[in-house]
Amino acid sequence: MDFQFSEEQQQFRMELRAWLKENLERPWIEELRDPKNDEKKLFDIRRSWQAKLHESGYLGIHWPKEWGGRGLTVVENAIFAAEAIHAPPIASRVGINLLGPALIHHATEEQRKRFIPKMLSGEEVWCQGFSEPDAGSDLAALRTRAEPDGDDFRLEGQKVWTTFAPWSDWIFVLARTDPDDRYGGITFFLVSLHQEGIEVRPIRQITGESEFGEVFFSGALAKREHMVGALGEGWKIAMTVLAYERGSMSLAHLARFDHYLKDLVEGVRENGSLQRADVREKIARLLVEKEVLRANGYRTLATLASGQAPGPEASLEKIFWSEYSRRLADGALDLLGLQAHLLVHSPHARPHMDWAQEALYSRAVTIYAGSSEIQRNIISKRILKLPSS
Amino acid sequence: MQFELNENNALLKTSIREFLEKETPLAKSRPMMEETQEGFSKELYAELGDLGYLGLTLSESEGGGAAGVIGLAVVLEEMGRVAFPGPFLDLVLAEETLCRVKDQQASQFLQETVSGQKNVLLARSEALDDLERSSLQTRFDQDMIRGTKLPVSYGASADVLLVTTAEGLALVPRPEEGWKATSLPVLDHAQRFVEISLDSPGRLLTDKQRADTILKEVDQLGALGASALMLGLMEGSLELTLDYLKERKAFGRTIGSFQVLQHRAADMWIRMESSRSAVYRAAWALENSLEEASLLVASAKAYCGDSARFVCGETIQLFGGVGYTWEYDPHIYYKRVKTLEQLYGSTRNQLEAALQSQGI
Repeated sequence: MDFQFSEEQQQFRMELRAWLKENLERPWIEELRDPKNDEKKLFDIRRSWQAKLHESGYLGIHWPKEWGGRGLTVVENAIFAAEAIHAPPIASRVGINLLGPALIHHATEEQRKRFIPKMLSGEEVWCQGFSEPDAGSDLAALRTRAEPDGDDFRLEGQKVWTTFAPWSDWIFVLARTDPDDRYGGITFFLVSLHQEGIEVRPIRQITGESEFGEVFFSGALAKREHMVGALGEGWKIAMTVLAYERGSMSLAHLARFDHYLKDLVEGVRENGSLQRADVREKIARLLVEKEVLRANGYRTLATLASGQAPGPEASLEKIFWSEYSRRLADGALDLLGLQAHLLVHSPHARPHMDWAQEALYSRAVTIYAGSSEIQRNIISKRILKLPSS
Repeated sequence: MQFELNENNALLKTSIREFLEKETPLAKSRPMMEETQEGFSKELYAELGDLGYLGLTLSESEGGGAAGVIGLAVVLEEMGRVAFPGPFLDLVLAEETLCRVKDQQASQFLQETVSGQKNVLLARSEALDDLERSSLQTRFDQDMIRGTKLPVSYGASADVLLVTTAEGLALVPRPEEGWKATSLPVLDHAQRFVEISLDSPGRLLTDKQRADTILKEVDQLGALGASALMLGLMEGSLELTLDYLKERKAFGRTIGSFQVLQHRAADMWIRMESSRSAVYRAAWALENSLEEASLLVASAKAYCGDSARFVCGETIQLFGGVGYTWEYDPHIYYKRVKTLEQLYGSTRNQLEAALQSQGI
């Protein structure tokens, strides 16, 4: 039993802190608040921040050195995520966090050489082509087809909820190569978005932003040399991606939640309600659950650091942090009142925290990366071994 | 970062589980809870003494097992899992108090508790609510202890009481007279609460200030121990539930195949496993005397309280009508949890303690 960072890990954290102090010119919230920054401009800021991180070796921290990584462990990677919460999110988050592990585990040497360096540098930004209008929670119902065309394939179909689609250069796609084999008929392709036969349409979200979009394929080329794994291995690879999407991110969320709860406590101190019994009870429960979340996060991290892949237990972590994020945001909107509704650039808005955005966004986190309902299915089937109907 | 138990604690877990599964499955322990006056088997506690489980946390020089806080959590988790009856945790807390007092008679009683010959118990509370009071009514005056303590868990079977008084901590061996114990029948029928009125000779072991320091430490261990018990109770209760969901049929199918019930079972599991993370992280912090221990212990106790109430309550609901019968076991778990929510620092007091540990 050990729930703390080693001396080397502490050292890594201190160096990183110093580096961030030196290199981060403006907190991300300031960029968001700046009226001169439109969505395009904001994405450019993310791109150049990623380049800066890459130069200093702070991307792919837990990847092997031969693939441009730093050769450290998931623990240092989690420390990075926690320390960098006030920095802009990197541009190719989807590529590095999700596709990266899939390439390292399943791609050929040539594919890794071709794609990983440019993914890390931010030269090529990636998005994920998994969900479809009729295949969300039931992902294996996907219908986008990859039809053989000589040695290569042509894609027909549509993907949706594609985060960063409007800003991306490449997409990793699950496509059907056998209509009669539900799981074994799915193949994993890397596809350029800059070609004929592809149309990207932004989708406006409840926050008003268009962080994600739809991608339409009509005869777009998917090269055989860009197929990851063998024909029909797509589902297996997708499961690797999803496990990484669900696991090991708790520490980054925790660093945000520490910051959020601090702001909430300051807020109720300022509005004079901190001594009210109902307020204290609410805040105490949020504080306690945050510590439980941290304990769960350390536990998952310990499992990953020991070399095990994230298992169905990752569902526990996903459910816990995502549902906590809703309780925390709802709590703030209750206790701070309309002040917490003010948009980030409004007069009287809280200076260090965008509660309105957080409250709305917390409605997405229990849906993406496998909805809370899907996570409960995974737990009841794979861990509790309850019978199928 | 490591979550696994070390070799010693893993071994401890296997041995205590083996012992409890053999000696006290509910079929054997329910008669102890329901048909004996003490509410537990004195012979079994003597055996626990022989095997070294009493005195688990004490140092080797005190005749203990030096198992540390994590070891204690391991044993209590297993005891919770089978709803083990009796004052095990209370004895541990009395021992932890005795060993902090430099006193010859205290040392002698400590040895006799470790070996299972005597029951020494703390008698502290003077009210049935969990409100903080500025002073104690029980007094020490001219070698006499006078006052009323309630509730004292398993107090009727105590040979010696460690009594908090306005003057400090006093040692009161059970006299022939001047010690009136009145039974307080309570929601958890396995529990034995008594009200003890004292007008008895006793000795002051420490003054008030020192007693407060000692008991503050003991309270942390109590809260952690209760959390580990509740973790075990959740495990036992969930195991019952899963067995039932896999075997009971309705509408022509096993009820565990209904998604509505699967998701409720998943929520029980989430609560249980999150409690496990919280309990062992707190145990680790307490064992290593880390500054964050007070936040983590308070968090574990509050979270396990809420969670165990939920999990053990769901078990009754998912069993349906038979879950409400005396014959079936879900109520054993549920009732134990309800008491543990209140004892060893109630949920609401732990919530307040968590805030104060952070200067809020």
